[in-house]
Amino acid sequence: MKVGIIGTGFMGVTHAAGWAQTPAQICGFCAETTAEAAPLAKQYHSKIYTSIDEMLPEVDVVDLCTPTFLHAEQVEKAARAGKDIICEKPLALDVQTAVEMLAVCQKMGVRLFVAHVVRFFPEYAKAKAIVDSGKIGRPGTIHLRRCNYRPKKTVGNWFLDEQKSGGLLLDLSVHDFDYARWIAGDVKNVFSKKVSSMDPEAPIDYALTILTHENGTLSHITGGWAYPPPNFQTGFDINCDRGNIHWDSAETDPVHVLIRTDQDSPDVGLVGSHLIESPYTTEIKEFYDAIQNHKEARVTSVDGMKAVQIAAAARKSAECGEPVMIDSMKGEAA
Amino acid sequence: MMKIGIMSFAHLHAEAYVQNIKAIPDVEMIGFVDSDESRVEKFGRQFQVSATTDFEKFFAEKPDGVIICSENNAHLPMVEMAIDAGIRNICCEKPLATTLADAQKITALAVKNHVNLMTAFPVRFSAPVMEVKRQLQLGNYGKIYCFQSSNEGRMPAMYRKWFVDKELAGGGSLQDHLVHLTDLFRWITRSEVESVFAQSNQVFHHGEVDVETGGMAMLKFRNGVFASIDCSWSRPDYYPIWGGLSFEVITDRGAIQVDAFKQNLSVYHHETKGLSLVDWGSDSNQGMIDEFAASIRENRQASVSAEDGLRAVEVIQAAYESVASGKVVYL
Repeated sequence: MKVGIIGTGFMGVTHAAGWAQTPAQICGFCAETTAEAAPLAKQYHSKIYTSIDEMLPEVDVVDLCTPTFLHAEQVEKAARAGKDIICEKPLALDVQTAVEMLAVCQKMGVRLFVAHVVRFFPEYAKAKAIVDSGKIGRPGTIHLRRCNYRPKKTVGNWFLDEQKSGGLLLDLSVHDFDYARWIAGDVKNVFSKKVSSMDPEAPIDYALTILTHENGTLSHITGGWAYPPPNFQTGFDINCDRGNIHWDSAETDPVHVLIRTDQDSPDVGLVGSHLIESPYTTEIKEFYDAIQNHKEARVTSVDGMKAVQIAAAARKSAECGEPVMIDSMKGEAA
Repeated sequence: MMKIGIMSFAHLHAEAYVQNIKAIPDVEMIGFVDSDESRVEKFGRQFQVSATTDFEKFFAEKPDGVIICSENNAHLPMVEMAIDAGIRNICCEKPLATTLADAQKITALAVKNHVNLMTAFPVRFSAPVMEVKRQLQLGNYGKIYCFQSSNEGRMPAMYRKWFVDKELAGGGSLQDHLVHLTDLFRWITRSEVESVFAQSNQVFHHGEVDVETGGMAMLKFRNGVFASIDCSWSRPDYYPIWGGLSFEVITDRGAIQVDAFKQNLSVYHHETKGLSLVDWGSDSNQGMIDEFAASIRENRQASVSAEDGLRAVEVIQAAYESVASGKVVYL
């Protein structure tokens, strides 16, 4: 299997490390400039491509580690070239685009995987397994928390541009929208409040979203770019009628480093995992296996589309101040 | 010597208040009155206080103040009875009433009769909460944008059956657990609730009770601050503590995370074969009863009023309306 990676930011670096742990061959990297792609190309003894068109004839799989606003065009190109695709989350900026992306992949008979990496973090995967075992019963309420700091200026500052990233709800909370759906099933109704919707000048952003699932479960999603760097806290509570699961990153961190440093915090907060295998590598290995052996992965393209759907409903709710039914979003997609 | 008595021992908090009253040096705990003979019998003996089913006999003791710990729907008749008996200092358990009409009547009665009526919101007397509120109001933590909060607990039927009776309690977990954080955020922001969105379900203890056991609400205040509250009875009976109250405040400078019931010892013992959390923090109930006694002593309105109770009832009623309609309810 020959893989080409597009985008060489922190996610390109992370995915490349994952691919290196599989039998697949990394053919090369493509970035906005050859200078950006050069270090990874050198590290993995592979090529620098100056465009996706130049890369496509030489690879079997395209891994898109690019900003969200570029996904649609790149997925379409790769699909039309008959390549299987890994796409970073969120799949697309809006539901309509996501649906079209799924359609083109289906039409061209290529596979599309959306990198919702949270499903591959062992604490999240284990909690899902406990719920699925049925031994703690049915989820009544779920809390999912994810808060770090505002991403610093990256290339083109696309993270902070709502038009390019979809903002906090689509870029960060989408992880937990997907996880909530994985645990409690499809979502019926979404209500969200967001600091930047109330005060566009706010130096931080923070959003609280209540999801009502079709089975009645209530999920509360906290997403924030509000803490001073380098703080990043995640956590969840899954409260079921026969038991509860609680996890908090701050409480279970096995290592606390209290060392003076002049080092600056990273541009974008990432959770440290203290694991032998990075969850990103677990993810890439599973996608590799799914493609190679024609198997399902734990996250499908439909999951990726539905996560966008919930995020879109949350963004709409935060703007209009009213709850938004997911059914109404389906209407927009059709 | 100031005399304080308790009207009804239906609410579990009465057990704490007996000790809180006894702990104040210049106050005499005159006992309690309760129309339920079994409670008079049981708790009179357990707490070694005078107890009677005869309200006239209780009022003949001439209490300077009473604490009402009845079922939620009996607060209004209890307040009426106390005022008729000449009592001018009343501390009433939360929620102030199960209906908006009752809460309005209680508030109007207090105003008309110049009664010092205090709604029992003990969280205002929690040491960590008080400190955070002080710093926030001094502006030391920046400008407040929103709160993310939880007041989850065990289903209280394990302590008192009436807590899950729609008529007596006025509802389930929304009625029981929405008020504390609502009041707290009003108190901190000095702003009133403008709109409420709420959802509820009956997953926890499904089939055991008729009321909602899970609930979440989102409040928006007039000053633009918003707050989410989880008020579910999501903690199992064997949870190591009754529940908890925690919130995260987001400001333009970052966040403050507060867990009001975090000051615990983790205790493992052979009897329970498990973990129990033993609270060593300052007793917020004591702080509240101290303030009630101080307001009587100083002949003034206590720091929490009937109106504070009424405002919280308005929010609960709006939450129930929102659950019914699926829409945002504006106050």
